[in-house]
Amino acid sequence: MVFEVENLTKVYGDRKVLDIPELRIDKGKVYGLLGPNGSGKTTLLEILSFLMQPTTGEIAYNAKKVDFSRTYLQGLRREVAMVEQQPILFTTSVYKNVEFGLRIRKVAKERRKQTVFEVLDLVGMRDFAQASAHKLSGGETQRVAIARALACSPKVILFDEPTSNVDIENQIIIEGILRDINRQKGISVIFTTHNRMQATKLSDHIVFLFQGKPASSVYENIFSGSIRRDDLGGMYCLIHDKIMLPVQTAKTGQVTISIDPRTAKVLPAQDSPPGDNGFVGRVVQLTDEGGDVRALIDIGIPISVLLGREAYKEAPVLTGDQVLVICPPKSIEIV
Amino acid sequence: MDLLLDSFISAILLLKSLNAEVLTIVLVSLKISSSSTLIASVVGIPIGFAIAFNEFPGKRITVTVLNTLLALPTVAVGLFVYAFISRRGIFGPLDLLYTQKGMIIGQVILIIPIVTTLTIAAISRIDDRYRKSAMTLGATTVQTAVVVFREARFAIMAAVIAAFGRVIAEVGISMMLGGNAKGFTRTMTTAMALEYDKGEFVLAVALGLILLTISFTVNLFFNYLQGRARL
Repeated sequence: MVFEVENLTKVYGDRKVLDIPELRIDKGKVYGLLGPNGSGKTTLLEILSFLMQPTTGEIAYNAKKVDFSRTYLQGLRREVAMVEQQPILFTTSVYKNVEFGLRIRKVAKERRKQTVFEVLDLVGMRDFAQASAHKLSGGETQRVAIARALACSPKVILFDEPTSNVDIENQIIIEGILRDINRQKGISVIFTTHNRMQATKLSDHIVFLFQGKPASSVYENIFSGSIRRDDLGGMYCLIHDKIMLPVQTAKTGQVTISIDPRTAKVLPAQDSPPGDNGFVGRVVQLTDEGGDVRALIDIGIPISVLLGREAYKEAPVLTGDQVLVICPPKSIEIV
Repeated sequence: MDLLLDSFISAILLLKSLNAEVLTIVLVSLKISSSSTLIASVVGIPIGFAIAFNEFPGKRITVTVLNTLLALPTVAVGLFVYAFISRRGIFGPLDLLYTQKGMIIGQVILIIPIVTTLTIAAISRIDDRYRKSAMTLGATTVQTAVVVFREARFAIMAAVIAAFGRVIAEVGISMMLGGNAKGFTRTMTTAMALEYDKGEFVLAVALGLILLTISFTVNLFFNYLQGRARL
């Protein structure tokens, strides 16, 4: 076990941004932290990389309790490296950036040179060794930042949204690097993403985070709304003053609601009139998701529905089609 | 207009002749200004760095006080130091009044707030990701500080140049604490003030030209360094 986390919280002012009762990370595995923006992924990574102190709770690294108040954190940081979402390179050459970690570890010059070129090869940036680091593109910067972290031979690498700011080509390269460093070097990898497919594709384990807490699955189609009661006593959630979604809840006032894209259904609009939980909308995007089809439908609010391959074959829809989106009660969760 | 043009032409001729008096004045000016800038930098840069790099109670008020000191008039500093180093002052026995050392003390007091506040501004503008990157790569606190300092080096250099510009062009402290003694404490600015009083514009204009040339050369060198760094 590389990390064991217990009752971890991080509070800013009166806002608790992280609340994790328990989390265990196995050695040598790839973990994906999946959650929407603001779910506490980056905060958790910064705590696990010993850059930030938690408000309460305990972390054990390699079965040893971490004392955040002590100066030995620097020693731990030499084993756990983090690559930020938008990494910044020092104002010098690519070579000197990658060399930095080795230089401060007082590695001999020849060995430094060998390691720098090894890791630059690994990320496909050898030809850029003498280039000015600030003249690289976003994807190249991300790759050099990965090389810079790898040069330090860490036991764990934490990646914060490694592909969120890069083009498709660099995305594929970075995903490959992430896999390779785990398989070839046995480095434990933890990365954050809000892309479910990426998490599934790259990780051995997925940890879902929502509003700073571990969740049983990732919440999608998340909206803020308010719980109201109609004249007949039925309860519904009013979303963005546009959509009235029937709900069964004891909660009142402002809530956050999630609609499960796998249990919501799409029917041709002309087949049946919309009921209480049916909404007419227009298909605005269709994407392949591992054989299934994800449809983004504008029903006044954008809602994503995952259509199984067979179901899609039976009732295919095209972008621009008018459709009926059914949100059965089991697809709606107040979170 | 003729007066200015004649003075300008005569000043150029004076400079071409490498007049000994002019050379002495320039050398004294450079010596005193460089010394005070060096001392103020050695003191002000670490203080500015420490204030910017650390969080402590009273940080904002400290910065506010330093910012206020930027507007310190040279005559106020002159008077203040005079009170300490004149014969009746507590440092009177050290015989610092009307010496180059006395002038340097006054100028250091004048520009420490400049170097410090501009260093604080330089460090504060540095993206916090530099600090985090250095730390996550295993740097110690000192090594992290060096990384941040390196990133801020040109802005800090600009702070030093601004301080140098302030002292080489000031007249109040030099006059009050140096006394404008020929060949000893006479600087370009005090000499210019004296020549103006005498109605002798040629030397004043010549010294003015040298002052501007020095400022221009220093800034040219700074721009060259910045340009090289961007390559």
